[in-house]
Amino acid sequence: MKRGYLAEVMLALGAVITTATFLLTFFWAPPSVYPDGRVDFAQKIFYFHVPVAEASFLVFFFTAYYGVRFLMTKRKEYDVKARIATEVTLFFVLLTMATGILWTRVEWNVWWQWEPRLTTYFIMTLLVIGYFVLRNSVDDEERRATYAAAFGILAFIDAPISFFITRVVQSTHPVVFKSGGLEPPMLATFIVGQIGMLMLGYAFYQLRLKEEELKERLEALKIGLGG
Amino acid sequence: MGSLSWRQFTAILRKDIVMELRTREMLTSMGLYAILTMVVYQIALVEAGEGLDVRLVMPGLVWVAFIFMSMLGLNRSFVHEKDQGCLEALLLSPIDRPVIFLSKFTGNLLFLLVVEVLTLPVFAFLFLQGRAGFGGPLWMLALVLVGASIGISGIGTLLATISVNTTGKDIMLAVLFVPLQYPLLRAAVGATFAAVIGGPDAMASFWTWMGWIGGFDIIMVLAAFGLYEFVIEA
Repeated sequence: MKRGYLAEVMLALGAVITTATFLLTFFWAPPSVYPDGRVDFAQKIFYFHVPVAEASFLVFFFTAYYGVRFLMTKRKEYDVKARIATEVTLFFVLLTMATGILWTRVEWNVWWQWEPRLTTYFIMTLLVIGYFVLRNSVDDEERRATYAAAFGILAFIDAPISFFITRVVQSTHPVVFKSGGLEPPMLATFIVGQIGMLMLGYAFYQLRLKEEELKERLEALKIGLGG
Repeated sequence: MGSLSWRQFTAILRKDIVMELRTREMLTSMGLYAILTMVVYQIALVEAGEGLDVRLVMPGLVWVAFIFMSMLGLNRSFVHEKDQGCLEALLLSPIDRPVIFLSKFTGNLLFLLVVEVLTLPVFAFLFLQGRAGFGGPLWMLALVLVGASIGISGIGTLLATISVNTTGKDIMLAVLFVPLQYPLLRAAVGATFAAVIGGPDAMASFWTWMGWIGGFDIIMVLAAFGLYEFVIEA
């Protein structure tokens, strides 16, 4: 309980920085242009979509990490941490999906396409959802934690495999940092957005964790009072 | 130690095979399921008419049938263990947990391969008659079958052990199994396509996909092997 106010500070900073990113996106970062000179306004979503997507991968790592810690120690706190990391992952994954679909509608003229990057990210979404479906269908607490840990580890191993396997097939999803990079103001806007998003991810995770700990203390108190 | 583990391994495997030979429950249900899938395929393809080259979609159709069939078999293989209290007995006996995984995995792999080998000719008989034959030699197809079935049984054995203890067993296995198997299935369809259609680049693409299947098998079977001990004791 002695984490201080770091999570709250991060939440406030993250909120300010991601809001600032929106302003930078529209008022500072130069517009991207097509080869024929038209302005590519839809590209602006890049400053939100990519930071969210990268945050989702990073947070998902902690699902597997705390899964391993749980299996090694059988301590309940690691199960709670793994579950909350997956909750934050789900949140970021859904945001990535929502922003990505808006972009494909504008840029590719379809809401959805079975394109390698989209397909594999959809698979990752299903794995994250599957994690919660699994949790909800096991009654025994320790068994639920063990199964969830095992599945979380497998899912985290699987995500990169399914991500790279489709590299064998030609992809139409842009790979910004391979194809020549960005102009400095664009890159700066993106980095600011990424930092803000990671702060938000950290804050969501810590605050949810605090909430869970409070809930547990409350339950313990109730039992202590004979309720 | 080595020979004792081996004897335990063969004992569990023999038990599964003997039980299967007596009841023939898994093989009949999996085989029937595969045949029924083909009836559904006929319905699915009926409006496409004669113009459709079935060979182009055949790799996908075959693996769809196999993936659902394998889930049926995996579920069966653990429902028995649980209903008859066999799993508890296995856990009480002084058998190394990895041995339990390896014998269940081998049994599942065996049954899956038997049904695959039996249903593939039926598929060819029903859908591929009068079409151009297989582009590549048959050993290519055999290699894909064995490679992909190893991955299916490896992860499947772990996930079936999990799902048998959840509410809504069958649905749970599918929810966990299908997305996890995505990379393997993608590669299996790619390799089957290269083996069936042939062509100038077929060999190169076949080995690329086989490389993916091999890599997936090694990583995922090892992961399942390592996690099994925790899962079965939970």
